Amino acid sequence: MTGFADDPCARCEELLQPFLDRELNEAERAEAEAHLSLCSYCRKRYRFEEHLRRFVRQAVIAEPMPPELKARLADLRTPLF
Amino acid sequence: MSETTPETEARRLATEARDRVRFEEDALALADQVYRVARHLVGSREEAEDLMQEAYARAFRSWRSFRPGTNLRAWLLRILTNLNIDRGRRLQRTPGLEPLEEGDYFLYNRLEESTPDASDEERVVERLSQDSVVSALSAVPHDFRDVVVLVDIGDFSYADAAQILDIPIGTVMSRLHRGRRVLKQQLAHEAVGTGAA
Repeated sequence: MTGFADDPCARCEELLQPFLDRELNEAERAEAEAHLSLCSYCRKRYRFEEHLRRFVRQAVIAEPMPPELKARLADLRTPLF
Repeated sequence: MSETTPETEARRLATEARDRVRFEEDALALADQVYRVARHLVGSREEAEDLMQEAYARAFRSWRSFRPGTNLRAWLLRILTNLNIDRGRRLQRTPGLEPLEEGDYFLYNRLEESTPDASDEERVVERLSQDSVVSALSAVPHDFRDVVVLVDIGDFSYADAAQILDIPIGTVMSRLHRGRRVLKQQLAHEAVGTGAA
């Protein structure tokens, strides 16, 4: 029982996050894929979500660790002697 | 019963020193990846640097409690997230439910309305700036942000994130869901000046 019998796009929207996280079971994945193969409205939004996730990741990775911090962490090691 | 002689004791100490050095090298090799997550668990670069130093000092002190062969990155992040929680940041308000009522298509719909050539989804994403992502992420409440950062940036599985944060997988899923929605609300607000409370 999905609660979205009359609105397959709403059901597809509900499946978006777990679909991209690869957390859907086989039946749910097949359900989403079947709808996406027919519906360009949802397909666009799924593709957007994929681009968005990549974009967020790249935006965040763009700020590397300062080299001085790395040196300070190395100094925290226990002296050998 | 084995007898401890000066030679066996010396061997034991040498083995322990070798294991410790290896542990420290492995932990330092992961510092960039740990920092990437730490930087977005807290609000500023300075806080992230303090947290990293505190976490690494604690990790180096308690290296014996790490089980070789298990996930060192997850172990380090567990220390780091616990320290972050100890710092009292949970006092931050939790978000109201109202802004979360929008669905997952919300951000696309908002951006599409104001993008001239919305036929290409990549162009719609380009409406966002890298700075807006960093600032939107920092506006997501901590409990939700922890999970979003671990899963979407740290690339941890739901199970790893649950272990690091010491919460059930179901809580990881619900916080991830809400956290991503808050992030989208913030991004919509930054990009088109609407959508956030």
